[in-house]
Amino acid sequence: MEENELAGRMIHHESMTVSTEEIGELIVALLPRLRRFARSLSRNQHDADDLAQVAVERALRHREQFRAGANLASWLFGIMKNAWLDDRRARVRRGEVALPEDSGEHPAVTPADTNTSLWSVSEAMNKLPEDQRLAIACVLVEGMSYKEAAEVLEIPIGTLTSRLARGRTALAAALSDERVGAAP
Amino acid sequence: MNYDDDTLMAFADGELDAAKRAEITVAMEKDAELARRIAHHRELRARVAGAFSPVLDQPVPDRLVNAARGATVPGATQRRGEVVQFPARGTRPPGLPWRGREWGAMAASVALGAIISWKLLSPADSLVTASNGSLVARGALASALDRQLASTQVEADPVRIGLSFESRDGHFCRSFQLRDAGTAGLGCRIEGEWRIPVTTEAATGDLRQASSPPPAVLQAIEARISGEALDPAGEEKARDAGWDTTRR
Repeated sequence: MEENELAGRMIHHESMTVSTEEIGELIVALLPRLRRFARSLSRNQHDADDLAQVAVERALRHREQFRAGANLASWLFGIMKNAWLDDRRARVRRGEVALPEDSGEHPAVTPADTNTSLWSVSEAMNKLPEDQRLAIACVLVEGMSYKEAAEVLEIPIGTLTSRLARGRTALAAALSDERVGAAP
Repeated sequence: MNYDDDTLMAFADGELDAAKRAEITVAMEKDAELARRIAHHRELRARVAGAFSPVLDQPVPDRLVNAARGATVPGATQRRGEVVQFPARGTRPPGLPWRGREWGAMAASVALGAIISWKLLSPADSLVTASNGSLVARGALASALDRQLASTQVEADPVRIGLSFESRDGHFCRSFQLRDAGTAGLGCRIEGEWRIPVTTEAATGDLRQASSPPPAVLQAIEARISGEALDPAGEEKARDAGWDTTRR
């Protein structure tokens, strides 16, 4: 949250244009949060970092679309959301993932994952429909307000809260089920 | 008082105005069921947030910092960059996954089981070639040694990376196993290429448990290793430095 506000404030105080170097350094400061957001949407940290890299590169290519005074973190999260959905569409098109739980793919477990609840929560997140997963990632993982999350996801607040409610119910059910991660 | 779940969710998310928040705070003191429902929302929120928060403390891979600065990595990592970094979206072959896309076509059409050891040394599709008297990794094997992390690899990856370590003569080495072919070996990063000082046959049946390299590879590791094998963070750092021991 702090970095987020920091980035927003710093750009506020700049002139109307933000130089490439400035935006680059502001993005560097946001990388830990971008990696966390990406991790909550991906099956493992490697895929998450690939996603973060695509989002960062895309943001820099389209930096002229960034409005000075806007919140840089929200803008980047929105780009990442689109990059993630694009990748999901591409995977579905080639039949790689009809439903996440049917992919037969097992996420890699890193030693860090096994020491925390990251593994089980990540698996439970993977079972959620995309829209619910995005709502959970914004509000529960990133701690965004409903207003900010709705802006990032480009949906009305009412839509966000209903996705969030359904996502929570599904997530709670998946997490209370000890078979999380087991084959269906 | 009866509160719907959306209201309690908003309460847990800190989205209610002060008046409503105060009202519910008072109500939950008298209503155990209400308190339980709120606790349920708060616990889920804390659990999800807590699961991903350690990511914030992890070192950020250099490739992301470089991407943010719009920089291409010079020198030794240039070669690695070609393999690891995403091509611009427009130039990416359509329909290939991010992970391992460079061998996606091969993995899809040819079961790697077909590439058994004889093929290792055959000129076409070779994973290893001879160069100046040493065997050098090529193709999917070189890519895996370049970019794959033992901590994040998946069952479907055609090459399984074992231990990564720094050798006494100052190079990074990584043990590997071809998932379906049962060939194991060691690759050492010397002068910008992966030289293969040892390969051996491993029993294919053991592959799933084969977290430790076969004896011949272990001996080769023990003969070379300086200190301990890299932990996941060290492995990632070494990869991001292009497996160049001078760039740390």
